[in-house]
Parts: sequence; structure tokens; C-alpha cells
Amino acid sequence: MNTRARPWGWTAFGLGLLMLLSSCALTWGGYDGEVGISAFPAFYEPYGYGYGGWGGGYAVGPGRGGGRRVGPNPGGPRAGAGFGGRGAPSLPGRSRGRGR
Amino acid sequence: MKNEGSASVQPLRRAAIAWVAAAIGIAAAMPVPAQAAAIEVPPLADIAPGERHSGKVVWYELVTTDLAGAKRFYAGMFGWSFRDLHGGDLDYSVALLGDRPVAGLIQRSVMAGERRQPAWLTFIAVNDLEAARRSALAQGARILMEPRSLPRRGRQAVFADPEGAVFAVLASDAGDPADFLPAPGEWIWSALLVREPVKDAGFYQSLFGYELYTLPSKDGLDHLIFATDDLARASVNALPRTAPPDHPHWLSFVRVVDARAMAARAVTLGGHTLVAPHLDRHGGWTAVVADPAGAPVGLMEWSESDSEEDAQ
Repeated sequence: MNTRARPWGWTAFGLGLLMLLSSCALTWGGYDGEVGISAFPAFYEPYGYGYGGWGGGYAVGPGRGGGRRVGPNPGGPRAGAGFGGRGAPSLPGRSRGRGR
Repeated sequence: MKNEGSASVQPLRRAAIAWVAAAIGIAAAMPVPAQAAAIEVPPLADIAPGERHSGKVVWYELVTTDLAGAKRFYAGMFGWSFRDLHGGDLDYSVALLGDRPVAGLIQRSVMAGERRQPAWLTFIAVNDLEAARRSALAQGARILMEPRSLPRRGRQAVFADPEGAVFAVLASDAGDPADFLPAPGEWIWSALLVREPVKDAGFYQSLFGYELYTLPSKDGLDHLIFATDDLARASVNALPRTAPPDHPHWLSFVRVVDARAMAARAVTLGGHTLVAPHLDRHGGWTAVVADPAGAPVGLMEWSESDSEEDAQ
């Protein structure tokens, strides 16, 4: 065995370690492999989703007291519909500066 | 023979130690791009010290390919002004309505020819970020950004829910904003659009402790309301059947006085209409527009009489 050849092994090890540590310092995982910007998230959504199909009464806003509370397990059967027997809450009524 | 071997190993050990020390030293000295400490974002507005409103949407950040264009657009739309923050490679701008921070805008360049979808990121308040992280991951979410601390703001992390909709959570250091009816030009509502609203709602319910309400619908699809503190916080909606392509996501709305006029203004400012103005269930006009880089943003009218205290 020729131990004189081993410094090359240590050189490779050192270079590998350097690359590993450098990559840890420069990147971190993100959405679909994206790289974020430091502590700030900088994720793009998948390109090109559309907004078709919003006609025909499609509404996403808050209600005005309608609706019904569902039970604590919404993923289960709809047996919980009507839980509590009260309508959905809405937005705050008080404006800033109008006091409580 | 033995002594000769030991003598040759000693220099090797010294070389190894030198290499490891050099590697650690060089890596530590390398600049991390856009260090967080270089930028100090303002605390959330209207903090009520000690008040916690887990599940409330409390902050919004736009990731865009064109920060200057976005600032022109949102200034023209909502009267926002901007305070630029620079740190390292990061261009970040705080949007203000008057002196109140309402959003953050981040410039992120893309490669020539690369197509990316700029979007607003929705930040939801949590009391315990680590508990939220554990709960989210245990229920099939992916973590996109591990928890990080921002001075004066708190700790935040970013997830994709089990359907892939991206959202952020924020544990504010000083407390959460008090509940006021937002003024025109401020964010008023957030909607989650997913394939299976009832199932996905369960994920958010366990994360934020929401009460869940079903709403009557005219389209035969599921529409639900998340509520905490006896206030509506967001809606969960089935993606429209004809939505091309099908992509679960969060969409937030800014309160406007006249959604039809603002949708038209968006076009004159270089944006375009995604959903034409229409009457929403509360009786006010609602629309969805895209800013010049393509980020969707909702417009929603809300009269004082639409609010809870008047509806009951």
C-alpha cells in the first residue's frame, strides 16, 4: 500500500466538504425546488391557472348571517350539518376610530 | 516498519484537520444572499398587545418579476405608497395605506424565457408556530420554508396544504391586529379555492381551530366559512368545474368603494380582468383582476351595513 497517495483522498474529502457547506449556506429548499430569498418567502405559483367558471352564482365572499355551522369533523359525513343551529358570522362591524 | 507508518500518518492527519478547518472557515465567510438581518420589516399594524387571533389573515406578500411595475399598479389602484428596503440581493418594498403597513412586495427575477406565476401569499396568524408546523406536516402538508424569525415581526413559515395551496403562518411577537372593519384600500377577505373544500377545510380547522359554516350556494358547489372569535375569517370554495387549469390556491380581496370602476381602472393601469364584476352573496360587487405581471387580486365592495352587527 502506498500511503503517499492518500493526500489526494484527503484533498477530495476537503473539497467535497467545502462544496457541501457552501451549498448549505447558499440554498434551501422551496416550492417545487425553488430557492427562497433569505427569511422571505419568494415562491411563484405554477404558471397559468385560470379563473373561468365563476358565472352562475359562484360567490366566495362572506355571508350576511346565513349558513349553518357544521360539526367538528368536516371531513366526515354531513351528519353534523346544523351543529349549534346558528348562522355564519360575518366581518367586524366596527371601523377603526369608531371605538368598540 | 510500524514507526515509519505512524510517521507518515501524522502529516496526513494534520492535512485533514487543515482541510476541514479551511472548509468550515471559507463556508462561514461566504456571504449568504440577502441576509434577513439586513432588512427589518415593520410590525403588523393595529396590534392589540396581548390579543391573539389564531386563524385571522394578518399579512400579505406579493412575489413579482416587476417590482416597479407592481408599485405603479397598486398605487394607482388603492392609493398605496411604498417604503423600499434593500438588503443584499433582496428588493423588498413595504406597501402603506397612509402610515399603516398593508403588504410587502418582493422582487424575484426569473431566467429569460422562464414562465412563472406571480402571486400574493396569504399569512395566517398562529399562536404557536412549532405546534402548527407539527400539525400541518402530520396532516399531509409540505413545508416550503422552515420557520424563520424576523425582528419586530415574529416567526413565519410557508406550507403547501394537502391539495397544494400555498399559505404562510405567522406567530407575531407583539400580538395580532385588532378586529376592525377594513377601510377601502385595505385587505378585507381571503378565499381558498380547492378541489375538495370539506376535506381541505378539516386540515385548516385542526391547524387554526376554526369553526366551520356551510353557506347556501346557487352553483351546487361547496362553499364554507372559516370563523374564529365569532367573526368570519375566510371562505373555502370548490374550484369552479370549468376552471382551466385546476390549481388550488388562496386569493385575497382588497376593499374598494366601486368594484366595477376599479376593475376598469386595473385595465388602464396595465392589468387585466380575470373575473368580471358580479354581485357576491353579501350584495356587494366583486371582481378579480391581474396586475401587470399577472398576480391575481380580488376587489370587493363592502358597505357598513353589510357587517355582522347590522346583519343580525
